[in-house]
Amino acid sequence: MPLILIGVTLIIFSMIWALGPDRLLASYIKSPEALKTPDAAERLIKKYGLDEPMPVQYLKWLGNILQGDFGYSMVGKKGVLPAMLERFPYTLELTIYAIIPVILVAIWLGVVSAVHQNKFIDQFIRVFALVGWSLPDFVFGLLLLLVFYSLLGWFPPGMVNTQFDLIMRSAEWNKITSMPTIDALLNGRFDIFVDALRHLILPVMTLAYLWWAYLLRITRSSMLEVLRKDYIRTARAKGVPENIVIQKHAKKNAMIPVLTVAGGSVIGLLGGTVFVETIFSRVGMGRFLADAATLLDYWSIIGGALFFSFIMIVGNLVVDVSYALVDPRIRLE
Amino acid sequence: MKKILLVTLALLVSLFAFASDPNTLVNLTIGEPETLDGMHSYDTASGEVIENLYDNLIQYNGQSVTEFLPMLSTEVPSVDNGLVVEEDGALKYIFPIREGVKFHSGNILTPADVEYSFERYILGDPAGKAHWMIIEALTSSAFYTVEDWFADYAGMAYSDAVNADRNPISDEAKAKLVSFYEEVIDPRIEVVDNTVVFTLDGPFGAFLNIVCHFGSWGAIVDSKLAMERGDWDGKADGWWKWHDLEADEYAFHDFGGGSGPYKLVEWDRAQQKVVLERFDDYWAGPAAIKNVVIWGVDEFSTRKSMFEAGDADIAYFDPVYLDQALALEAQGKAEVTTGYPVSSITSLHFNWLIAEGSEYLGSGKLDGNGIPREFFSDIHVRRAFAFCYDGITFIDEVINGLGKLVPTDLPEGYLGFDETLPLPEFNLARAAAEFKQAWGGEVWNKGFKLQILYNTGNNSRQTVAEMLSYFVSSINPKFKVEPLGVQWPTYLSAQNNGFLPMFIIGWVADYPDPHNFISTYYASFGTYAGRQGQLFREWAIENVDDEIVAAIKATDSAERIKLYKSVQEKAIEFTLGIPLYMPVGLHVESPQVDGWYPQTARSGYYYYHLSKSE
Repeated sequence: MPLILIGVTLIIFSMIWALGPDRLLASYIKSPEALKTPDAAERLIKKYGLDEPMPVQYLKWLGNILQGDFGYSMVGKKGVLPAMLERFPYTLELTIYAIIPVILVAIWLGVVSAVHQNKFIDQFIRVFALVGWSLPDFVFGLLLLLVFYSLLGWFPPGMVNTQFDLIMRSAEWNKITSMPTIDALLNGRFDIFVDALRHLILPVMTLAYLWWAYLLRITRSSMLEVLRKDYIRTARAKGVPENIVIQKHAKKNAMIPVLTVAGGSVIGLLGGTVFVETIFSRVGMGRFLADAATLLDYWSIIGGALFFSFIMIVGNLVVDVSYALVDPRIRLE
Repeated sequence: MKKILLVTLALLVSLFAFASDPNTLVNLTIGEPETLDGMHSYDTASGEVIENLYDNLIQYNGQSVTEFLPMLSTEVPSVDNGLVVEEDGALKYIFPIREGVKFHSGNILTPADVEYSFERYILGDPAGKAHWMIIEALTSSAFYTVEDWFADYAGMAYSDAVNADRNPISDEAKAKLVSFYEEVIDPRIEVVDNTVVFTLDGPFGAFLNIVCHFGSWGAIVDSKLAMERGDWDGKADGWWKWHDLEADEYAFHDFGGGSGPYKLVEWDRAQQKVVLERFDDYWAGPAAIKNVVIWGVDEFSTRKSMFEAGDADIAYFDPVYLDQALALEAQGKAEVTTGYPVSSITSLHFNWLIAEGSEYLGSGKLDGNGIPREFFSDIHVRRAFAFCYDGITFIDEVINGLGKLVPTDLPEGYLGFDETLPLPEFNLARAAAEFKQAWGGEVWNKGFKLQILYNTGNNSRQTVAEMLSYFVSSINPKFKVEPLGVQWPTYLSAQNNGFLPMFIIGWVADYPDPHNFISTYYASFGTYAGRQGQLFREWAIENVDDEIVAAIKATDSAERIKLYKSVQEKAIEFTLGIPLYMPVGLHVESPQVDGWYPQTARSGYYYYHLSKSE
């Protein structure tokens, strides 16, 4: 794992370094006023060692990483690591709430679609999936915002309403997980919990619809393949009820490829979703990394890549382990 | 199952409606502060928070940027009240400090806090930040950085005196560093009884503007609290350990240390929110609104929806969305103010000697496929390009009328602004006549090719580039001006290295004095001089530098106006650039908000002036 992480950072570091000191300087210059003093550019280049050879800069950075210093994040306005740790709970919360409908509904729809292959319900679900797959998330998100907030006033953007937000920043509030819904329950504030849920509904709906499309298609094709197997035919020939054939014999075996994709979707969600976070004014890793890339905030970009690589590696490990639970033929050695 | 879903939905929906709270004001904006410490603050988002958390010595009188009122100083120094005194050519400004003022920490403000604040800023002086202003003012433009000031005093470069670990390189270097504070910095800002005395090397017309409220570089900090939080200890021995640190290494980066009308509750960098709470012990009386939430919501649709739904009281509307703001006003959901001047100018300037190695001048020769490096040193070329800018159409069509044409790079309302000077003229016939004279007629006969750059995403710059390309090419098919969009880092880098044949750039005032614009654009030592090339610098030294320096040192307004007028007349005569437009402001608030008025020196909102009805 360390080798992969070093490889990832080395590649990104080289690409950023190749821009040269003059371009890297832009991450410290937000406006021309910052160059008012005659030698401001030279001072900044020297201060941040932008003109040093790439191996020197990389080894310095690596040395700092080993001491827990990931550099200063221009986007986070604090150290890169604290900035990411501050945002991760929000992404985790959104992932937790989104993944339940994403997986359950997608699998359910995929199974229904496969079982009713080429019938109206199958066609309907496939069109539904196709629309979700084709629709850009910012368009769907904005549509939801328009209908459910601007027109109906039901589900606002943000994390919680302003009054609750002020309570959550007061001295009496016990910030435990930084996840509003969970902290609300731990603080015994069911009203804030409900409000936080209300703010989660549209982002979850947006994410869910987009991921359903993908997961549903995998489930459907996997189910169709399994339903053609001999042992399914045998089960049916023996008179096993159709419900048990589907649920017990077919569905479980069809889940192996689905699990890979579902695992990937969890990893993807943990990496954050830029547009959903931006449209619904939510905090998260996706927006952090997108802002870092826009501002050429290279310490944040590299820190984010490291963090995301770590998530990918751990996530894939978890998926591999879970294979063994689903398929007894697979054993971990 | 269906019943559970319906009940949950009903519960969620029933809880949503919260009446607009008159004690809480929500401002939806774009961007977020870089810091809450005046040490690193050089952006409007940081400035907005700091001006609410901290007081300065003096403040502006309403909308004026030339009339001052007392703030932490009980009087505004002037020659008439005897608080501006000349001694041996030096000018002393005496500020009597208000007694009984409390910081948010409960500490009482003293003159020593004022001295500490300014000395801390000067010694800290992070690269690329704002403290060149006070250094320039104190030294009569002799220095802009404390490192240069030290080098002049000590006879050694700062980098030769202090190593990378922030330790003096030698005993001699340490002695110089200590005495630099004791002999140079400390005497400049001294406590005398209950006053603080600033000593300037000579007159500097913009000094009061620099220390005035809304300038975060003049915010007075709680020195006791700063030291408790590990900031500079106020001693001569060791000041260099706090010089040029990162933003988060200073005491008040994310912590309130002022005496202003609002206290910091939290700066939530993840949620892009700054939450402020009224300071009930504020010396001028508590603010009307108890809680303020400044919330960075980058997506316009979201911002507008929240504002429209009544979940926000103020929202940032880009000029391109003026129609939508006016539509909300027509529905009684908003009050829109527009047309007020903003301290900013956007201009196009020419590079009289493009740096070697530029990839934007084609063949590098006047052969129809490029331009020579000194192409724009010919006045006829500059004039011809200037006649190709259709400013009226640009302002009407591109920025929705939220801008004004001005004669030079000096905003309207500033000292020296002269409306009798001619505005940029769109005249293709005159442009053709100038092109025919350029380079002894060679330009017209051979044609040329060059690239005009803009940073992608900046629609205004892109449109100007495309407009010039279209009109210049329409005059003569041999003229080829190619607009080229590049990323901001490339744009900045190419400008700084003098590679661009011409560049479009804006300037937002640091302080509302003409010096801040005139010197920036026109002086040989100005911020934009380097990108206009060595030939421009030589011209500026010969033609305008003396007048610009004399103007900032003059104490008589009439004299300053005369000098600035002369510089502007030369800028027009020699077509140093094209003043593209001066933006005008757009403010959108809910009808419940009262008390706002435009003030060009202010960053964002000063919530102390605002109130909110039910």
